[in-house]
Amino acid sequence: MTDTQIALDARAVQFYYEDPTTHERLLAIEKMDLEINVGEFVSIVGPSGCGKSTFLKIVNGLLPTYDGEISVLEPDHGRAHAMVFQDSALFPWYSIVSNVAYGLTCQGVPKKEAHARAMPFIEMVGLTGFETKYPYQLSGGMQQRANLARALTVDPEILLMDEPFAALDAQTRELMQAELLRIWHQAQKTVLFITHQIDEAIYLSDRVIVMSARPGRILADIRVDLPRPRELKIKRSPAFVALTDQIWSLITPQLHDDAPATGVAS
Amino acid sequence: MAAQTVPLKRTAHPNPKTGFWPRPNERVVFGLLGFVLVLGTWELVSSSEYGLGLVKRVLLSSPTLILDAAITDISSGAIWPHIIESGKEYVFGFGAALVTGIPLGLAIGWFRRLNYVLDPWLSAIYATPTVALIPLIILIFGIDLGAKIVVVWLEAIFVITVSTTTGVKAADAKYHDIAESFRASNWTVFRTVTLPASVPYILTGVRLGTGRALVGVVVSEFLAANAGIGFYIALNGSFFSSARVFFGIILLGALGITLGELVRVVEKRFDRWRPAIS
Ligand SMILES: Nc1ncnc2c1ncn2[C@@H]1O[C@H](COP(=O)(O)OP(=O)(O)O)[C@@H](O)[C@H]1O
Ligand SMILES: [Mg+2]
Repeated sequence: MTDTQIALDARAVQFYYEDPTTHERLLAIEKMDLEINVGEFVSIVGPSGCGKSTFLKIVNGLLPTYDGEISVLEPDHGRAHAMVFQDSALFPWYSIVSNVAYGLTCQGVPKKEAHARAMPFIEMVGLTGFETKYPYQLSGGMQQRANLARALTVDPEILLMDEPFAALDAQTRELMQAELLRIWHQAQKTVLFITHQIDEAIYLSDRVIVMSARPGRILADIRVDLPRPRELKIKRSPAFVALTDQIWSLITPQLHDDAPATGVAS
Repeated sequence: MAAQTVPLKRTAHPNPKTGFWPRPNERVVFGLLGFVLVLGTWELVSSSEYGLGLVKRVLLSSPTLILDAAITDISSGAIWPHIIESGKEYVFGFGAALVTGIPLGLAIGWFRRLNYVLDPWLSAIYATPTVALIPLIILIFGIDLGAKIVVVWLEAIFVITVSTTTGVKAADAKYHDIAESFRASNWTVFRTVTLPASVPYILTGVRLGTGRALVGVVVSEFLAANAGIGFYIALNGSFFSSARVFFGIILLGALGITLGELVRVVEKRFDRWRPAIS
């Protein structure tokens, strides 16, 4: 591998949501530029409703009507990217192994082979023994492990993760953060991670992108020069706390209570 | 003020596994109790042999008289042709409703434009009591088995189709996003998202359909038939043989319950992936 290859290059990306009946347009993202190197772990933080999910969906190809340019590295094998969705995104009617193998099923891989190829990833995320269970039989943390394994199974160059730990309790969340770093290291992926928790972003990332309230723009691109591997106690180090303060002071002015958290603004 | 501790009241844990007899299920006990109470009262009020004979037997019959009639008609074999005839109407009519209703419902849910074309018609027919169509069906198909199958089919299909369509549309958009994210083909989306998500709705439609189909059997036999349980009921009613009328009704009820249970078994089979309710 050459020293720095670019995994994702987004230039002046802009996106409007259009109301299907009134045709009113809502600017969700304004002129976003973002460059991510291969192997980098990059987080986006920003107030709720600022367009983080929207940006991820654009990169994933779910919202094809964006303006601007996005190029992604096409790897020799596997996929350019795969999405790890927010909580309870497993198909409730499929067993864990069928859920993890879903991406392969979509590629037309026969069931038996797809299940066999899913196994190493089930092991990687620590779900061995739960293959035949259904999602409702797993805790929230375990469901998100399966969710992560499902994305890994299609061998993506970039993992797109949309607040994957938002619904977990504080302790499980910390555990999953450490697990994610372990898996990231083991699987050698590029990660674009979305969260609204600042400490989560700093702990995980090489860079933290701070977004403004809607319409989302990039306010800052902050390098996190904390040594790796990182232990959880790094969150109490002065450098970590200083970064947290810096990002907080950028985000606080963006939080006005009249901003709609969810739903379509008319 | 001084704090005071009070001992908590303790009771022994009942252990369901001890004892020679299995612990009786409350549901069964009270269910049977209700059964005995109703039949006992009925017998007491109506039977002149074992009760007070307050009501004319031709009006209310009585449990013992009904049992008598049932034994007579079963042992003489007189009831079988009727059961077989109704069974045929049911199996073919309801089978046709399943085979046409489910695919139609899936298609309407899946193809938006088909929905726009068919929706007004379906709503109109759904709102019309199908019974009103029976004279027309007899006019077209005569009074043979064919006509009754059509009536049963018509009674059952709409609730199956409408419920199936609802199921297709009810599939959470989130799951479609996921499928799309993994580049699922239309066929894969249908197979892995639409179909599994609509199964509970399809089964609800099927269960409602079993009841409606039974109504179709009886009503069509009331109007024009020379065999069938509905015919047996109507015929014995005109002979003032209320015991046989009740026997026919009980047969229908038993059939209804059996079919309901059958659907439940199928539902259980599909329900592995959902947390058990109750
Ligand atoms: N499907 C949609 N239709 C219309 N507006 C939407 C839709 N999805 C999101 N929005 C709006 O776009 C903005 C950005 O949403 P989103 O990307 O989900 O925010 P975030 O993930 O940062 O919380 C929000 O104001 C939201 O209300
Ligand atoms: Mg979001």
